[in-house]
Amino acid sequence: MSPEASDFLYPFIEREETDSVSLLADLATSAQGKWAQSTRLRVDTLTALGFQIRTAATAMAERFNAGGQLFAFGNGGSSTDALEFARVLTRPPWGTPVPARSLAVDQAVLTAIANDVGFEIVFSRQLIAYARPGDIAVGFSTSGNSDNLMAAFAEARKRGMLTIGLAGYDGGRMGASDDVAHCLTVRSDSVHRIQEAQAAVAHALWDALQTELRQEGAA
Amino acid sequence: MTADDLLIADLTSDLARASLALARRFFAGGTMWCVSPDWPFHSHHVAVEFVHPVIMGKRALPAVAVPADEDLVAMLRTTARTGDIVVAVAPAGDEAVAAAMRRGDAWGVETVWIGAGPRPPAGAAKHVLWLPTDDPLQASEQFVRMYHLLWELTHVCFEHQGLLKSDDCLDDVCITCSDEGRPAEVLAVEGDEALVRTAEGRERVDTSVIDTPHPGDLLLVHAGSAITNLDAA
Repeated sequence: MSPEASDFLYPFIEREETDSVSLLADLATSAQGKWAQSTRLRVDTLTALGFQIRTAATAMAERFNAGGQLFAFGNGGSSTDALEFARVLTRPPWGTPVPARSLAVDQAVLTAIANDVGFEIVFSRQLIAYARPGDIAVGFSTSGNSDNLMAAFAEARKRGMLTIGLAGYDGGRMGASDDVAHCLTVRSDSVHRIQEAQAAVAHALWDALQTELRQEGAA
Repeated sequence: MTADDLLIADLTSDLARASLALARRFFAGGTMWCVSPDWPFHSHHVAVEFVHPVIMGKRALPAVAVPADEDLVAMLRTTARTGDIVVAVAPAGDEAVAAAMRRGDAWGVETVWIGAGPRPPAGAAKHVLWLPTDDPLQASEQFVRMYHLLWELTHVCFEHQGLLKSDDCLDDVCITCSDEGRPAEVLAVEGDEALVRTAEGRERVDTSVIDTPHPGDLLLVHAGSAITNLDAA
């Protein structure tokens, strides 16, 4: 490497550049810290949202028992959370399967709606086509602000669906909207940590739902 | 330290090594192929994380989710180039993933296998990032943490570009640097010759010293000759 005029200002750079051992140690330490942070946020979130999760699960169980189905949706990484939630509901590791699917997987439908009208109605337009009044809408967003989620919740509410939102930060527009009957907010300002805690919230919701379905079944 | 802390310490140092390897491949122009035949939400999540980062200003890196219904080996053999990365989120028993991973050296790709429960055999992938849990929901949550950290650490590595150019082996044993023969996958057989894929590209090798191989077999080649068929019955 040719010496640069400014090298004397940053004598540490040269050392760092050749020492992958110390970088690897720093990376591992940083990862351990974030892992612990994620574990703490998971525990705090499930504690804080415990009552809300059980309330939402009770409402979900009523809908499923009456023949309702669930539609999950989200954008980007949250679309994969929606797909995972739908998969856990339909193909549970144990317990009762219930009808659910993601509105973010059919690229023909998504691109048709987005191209012909706009991306803000990709989910609401599908609810108009598929959903019935006894159904359930579950939207995943880390910001709580996505336009197409707000449009979907408004449509779902109008059609008499049960509406549940998973949000982050302070809940954003989802947290403040009457269209979202149950807004489960992960109080964090890191998108990654929010998504990690939302995965736990979704699983806790599924677990609480199974408890409700068993009680209903026994009654 | 509790037993859990020790497991996490191991996992995070594996994550650190994998992240530096990924950063080096991306820096040299590699593409990351994300596969998760059983859990397509994970392959898509990994890919979107790298392509469209949640943190503004971080560079978009080429990552592709391989459709869950693809024939993994057939697709990657043709599409993945030398210098690429294959990241799988899959159980140890996934045969298609295992078949793709064991071709990593022949294809010249870096392999990362994320999973939980029973581990794949030693050497099943260059980087095996494994969780001890048998609970499928807990595992799924922790996979998300793992690839978020993989993304975060990869971008930290990008701040140390001097280390990205270095091609010193991070591994204790590196087949490419040793003299025992380079791995190759048979693409076609013609008489005593075979067209093979190696880390250097497509090559024609002499097969007269081994039994006639079949397409898909893994060979070791040395000085233009196949010296061993790793898949010989």
